[in-house]
Amino acid sequence: MNKQFLMKLGVILPVLLLFWSCSRDSNNDGSGEPNLEAVTYKNLHAPQLGGRGEPASGDFTKFNFSNNTIVTGDDWDIAFRGTTIIVNGGAEIGLEDEPERTGDAAVSIVNNTLDGVKNLPADSTFKQDAADTYAIPTGSGNSWYSYNMENHMITPVAGKIFVVRTHDGKYAKFEIISYYQDAPDPADLDPLTTPTEYYTFRYVYQPNGGGF
Amino acid sequence: MMKINIKMLAVGVVALPFLTKAQEQKDTLNTNDINEVVVTGTLTERYMATLPVPTQLITGESIRKSGLSRLSEVIQEQTGLITVPDYGGGEGIQIQGMDAAYVMILVDGEPLIGRTAGTLDLSRISVNNIDRIEVVKGASSSLYGSEALAGVVNIITKDPEHNGKPSFSSGFKLGSFNTHDASVNFEYGKNKIAFGIYGNYYDSDGYNLSENKFTQTVEPFRNFTITPKVKIRFSDKLNLTAKTRFYNSAQDYKAQVSDENYQGKSKVNEVNYSLLLNHQPSERLKFTYNLFATHFKANEFLNDVQESLFEESDYNQWFFRPEVRSHYKVGKKNEITAGVGVNSENLDRSMFESKAKLNSEYVFGQFEWFIKDKWNVLAGFRYDHHNQYKSQISPKLAVNYRWTDNYSMKASIGYGYKAPDLRQLYLDFTNSTIGYTVLGYNIAEAKLQELKNQGQILNSYNFDFSEPLKPESSFNINLGGYYKKGKWFLNYNFFYNDITNLIDNKVIAQKTNGQNVFSYFNIHKIFTYGAELSASYRVNSHLNFSAGYQYLVAKDKSVIASLRDGEVFARDPETQNSFKLKPSDYFGLLNRSRHTANFKVNYTWPSIGTSVSARVFYRSKYGQLDSNNNDIIDDFDRFVNGYFLTNLAITKDFQHGISFQVGANNLFNYTDKANISTLPGIQVFGKVMYQF
Repeated sequence: MNKQFLMKLGVILPVLLLFWSCSRDSNNDGSGEPNLEAVTYKNLHAPQLGGRGEPASGDFTKFNFSNNTIVTGDDWDIAFRGTTIIVNGGAEIGLEDEPERTGDAAVSIVNNTLDGVKNLPADSTFKQDAADTYAIPTGSGNSWYSYNMENHMITPVAGKIFVVRTHDGKYAKFEIISYYQDAPDPADLDPLTTPTEYYTFRYVYQPNGGGF
Repeated sequence: MMKINIKMLAVGVVALPFLTKAQEQKDTLNTNDINEVVVTGTLTERYMATLPVPTQLITGESIRKSGLSRLSEVIQEQTGLITVPDYGGGEGIQIQGMDAAYVMILVDGEPLIGRTAGTLDLSRISVNNIDRIEVVKGASSSLYGSEALAGVVNIITKDPEHNGKPSFSSGFKLGSFNTHDASVNFEYGKNKIAFGIYGNYYDSDGYNLSENKFTQTVEPFRNFTITPKVKIRFSDKLNLTAKTRFYNSAQDYKAQVSDENYQGKSKVNEVNYSLLLNHQPSERLKFTYNLFATHFKANEFLNDVQESLFEESDYNQWFFRPEVRSHYKVGKKNEITAGVGVNSENLDRSMFESKAKLNSEYVFGQFEWFIKDKWNVLAGFRYDHHNQYKSQISPKLAVNYRWTDNYSMKASIGYGYKAPDLRQLYLDFTNSTIGYTVLGYNIAEAKLQELKNQGQILNSYNFDFSEPLKPESSFNINLGGYYKKGKWFLNYNFFYNDITNLIDNKVIAQKTNGQNVFSYFNIHKIFTYGAELSASYRVNSHLNFSAGYQYLVAKDKSVIASLRDGEVFARDPETQNSFKLKPSDYFGLLNRSRHTANFKVNYTWPSIGTSVSARVFYRSKYGQLDSNNNDIIDDFDRFVNGYFLTNLAITKDFQHGISFQVGANNLFNYTDKANISTLPGIQVFGKVMYQF
């Protein structure tokens, strides 16, 4: 009797252990792959010349999610200049010094927390840049930020998540944390003196298709 | 029950104490107002005891004893009235949680104009010739039309008497920040004619709460007011009052733009003309003919360091109102009131393309009747016909029940509205430093097309401007009453306001420079509710206490809906990550404190002719800025801290009509330099008064 019990245990226990380890796989896709981790990129410098009355100019700072770096070639997913963010997909908007679109990137804007975005939004919600049209709209209140006219502070809108289809068809979701150098606590920064055009953002890169 | 007839009322009104001498101490400690006569709530003279609409009375005597010289300072001390700073450094009144733009301010029943940014600057009104202030709370558009959405503040000025005795009063006050306040009032009347002249001069160096060496929080200013008044009593049945008020103010105006210093002046010139004819053909019937005109002119300019003109703006507004009212008494107390009038307004200002005109005609009616001994009911309505937007009907129904002489209850329901103002309809303004544009609703479509033709527009959203902008409107309920027992007097009021079509601005297009074009739309639905309680206790003829408290909740309905739908987020200040907010995280609208309270003590020593008035006020925390930028004030925003303020005044009366007063406002020197621009710290003053 004892031996039979032990044998049953010998079968059941490993199965239980297998299920237990599977449920710890937070991907939920059963692929058993390592967890997708959120990465924070700090201080991406995106200076802009002109603005305020004259057309904006200067190079865009291009970023690649897979490498987690700024790139200078054609393998960029999104690019930053001042408060403008463009994607490497669609057609040129018509801005000065705008880089050519060399990929098929697109972006869908979702209201949620970064961790709350699990599934990919519908295909029809993904937008690309086009003549006179921004995939990520510009102007305070419309875009990723809101500009407070009283204290002159630029604050990334909370709960705005950008799901990006990268230039090579993978997906990433990102949230902008700060526009100020070193992403200080908003209570500590002085909107008139703290340097701006330094993006700090948090993102998750999903190279395997499906959701997050 | 006291029999009330016209003659008694007339005597009652005249005998209201407005110039007290040292001997008349008994009036000064009157702790409840139910036997006072007021006019604003019903346009008829009524005892407050049975008035079915919530009304607050601020007597001239209490103003005198407090030593305060500006209307904003007086209002701040009253339960349920909160002063809030508005654009341009002035101060407005918030009633029942509704913004200063929704409170109508009247002087002797005639409106004050000059809302350059939507609100009125209360410091324009000196208090030297105020007889009393009546505040009616809740929607009052059934009598007063547009703007009387939150309530009406009626400043009733002194009237010369026909008693053959000249009367003179003067005061000279010196205070902190090199403040001078000088007033002279002279009245004389005999037989048929009485005239009075009331003058006030006020100047101050202002104060600075910022680190800036060039600009100050409040720049130096001076203003003066002169009001001559003539009353002619043709007969017992016919009398005329003619009044003119001149107001002139000048203030330094400084700005720093891109490190350049600019300096200039800001000037206001205002003249009011008023003609009031009272005709009483019989004891039951009375007519009032009122002709009122006012002209408000403001000019601001800035020069650069080379003294050449950098920027200038003008504001020139005319307002005319002829009105006829009739009152007919049915039985002993019942009264029917009817009136008809015209409002004609035109405004020429720098940010308007052309002169704007607003014309409206109105008719109103009211019936108040007393049922048996305990009930009285008031029903009223007003119809306003405008040339710019949809006509409005504002009804009101109020009822009062007197359980006993000591206990009464009242309830009222009313409708109030505020017409879109000329700024929301015609503004054409582009900010020169940032580049955004604001267009009034009526010109937005045409102006947007112009900007498109100039190539300034990147894209525009399809907004339909075919329907006229609607007035903001509210539905208001008040439930209250008073309770009197021995030395105690309690007054309470529960209120609820439901406001729709609140006008705010929204983006209509994007410009090629990256900025936006805004216009005004009917956007918000908000509600406010709360309770107001005031109590007074008269220890004896020398000492009394009073206290007041208001609880207020003011919220936006669509914000609550967004929170329920999980559409509002905030950023965690430590991790900087976004998280979702719940409806319980919503605090409410900007600048509204949950709790405000006041406590006052009055003590007199008649033997040495001295009296002391001490007042403490509390205001709980409020949101001034959406610090986490999610468009709502939530519990995670940074709030302005709640605070206490203490004011003290000591008055000593000497012989021959001379009095001396010394005091301090904000005795404990509370400041919050970063957030509250209207608190400069302690202000001491000394005042000498002479009267005969």
